[in-house]
Amino acid sequence: MSEDRILEALNALKEADDGLEANPAVEARLLDAFRKHRFQSIRKRVAVALLAAATVLFGIVARPKPQPAPVGQTSGVQWSVSPPVMTEPADDKPRSSAPRAPRPARLREIATGFYPLLDVQPPFERGELIRVMVPAGTMRTVGLPVSEDHLEDLVQADVLVGQEGLARAIRFVGFQK
Amino acid sequence: MLRGDEEAFAALYRRRQPAVYRFALQMTGSVAIAEDVTQETFLALMRVAKRYDATRGTVGAFLYGIARNLLLRRFSDSGRELGSEGVVEDVSGSDDLLGDLTRRETIDQVRRAVLSLPGAFREVVVLCDLGEASYEEAAAALDCPVGTVRSRLSRARAMLAQKLAAVRGACHV
Repeated sequence: MSEDRILEALNALKEADDGLEANPAVEARLLDAFRKHRFQSIRKRVAVALLAAATVLFGIVARPKPQPAPVGQTSGVQWSVSPPVMTEPADDKPRSSAPRAPRPARLREIATGFYPLLDVQPPFERGELIRVMVPAGTMRTVGLPVSEDHLEDLVQADVLVGQEGLARAIRFVGFQK
Repeated sequence: MLRGDEEAFAALYRRRQPAVYRFALQMTGSVAIAEDVTQETFLALMRVAKRYDATRGTVGAFLYGIARNLLLRRFSDSGRELGSEGVVEDVSGSDDLLGDLTRRETIDQVRRAVLSLPGAFREVVVLCDLGEASYEEAAAALDCPVGTVRSRLSRARAMLAQKLAAVRGACHV
């Protein structure tokens, strides 16, 4: 047979099969599968977004809290007494434009700088800040002036305790209107 | 479609499924397998549509490639090439019944001859002579050079000529 006859025969088969299509049920099954696939795809994306959000949140929560500046980490450090630092507790209540009733005046916290309690400071790795009440006379031990009449008064102080349990430094806290 | 547009997917399916279905049907001779392969091809498209690269070929070639891989897997699983089954042409109600039967007989002979070709030669005939694929599309679908498509097609036609000549010779004896 010549190639022309072959092409003619193939063309006859092509024409005979022209118009053949898959059963409409195939389309219905595929569209159903497409919807499920889309739903799964959306669910997967939401899961990934939630996982990412959870990871970020965990990173924020698990992040080590900023430690107070190491006290006397090296022997060459000169300790200095910084002037009292005024700190004010953050007001985290939602603000409102509505007029408010007058509130009692708040007390502002005033703290001194840290004073070292050890002559030779071992290396500082981590520590805790513990608020305690101490006699005002303690202030004299770090060179702060206290009048004789108030030596027995109690004052608040923050003691920095190092990783080995030694009190490394102290600062005194007062309150002012 | 990639953004989950169902209408776009339906439109793509309606436009492309006849070619995919006929390709599978002419490769296997089985209506049931052709429908299965058509369905699996578009299911696979949902999963791998992002891999489609327009610079490497047309959507048609991409779909032929998926269908071909599915067919090869079926051939491999069954351990044999599939034969003709379930392809029925309805000639009832025709005015020229004898003529139609003769024509149908001829078409069946051609179909059987195509199905008896080795797979590598059958697929180029199905794609290029029975389908709408250009040589370039066939080359992309079969993952081979265009020159290979041409040479296989030429060889396939020669094999068909021999097979059909043998059938005709046997009928005239």
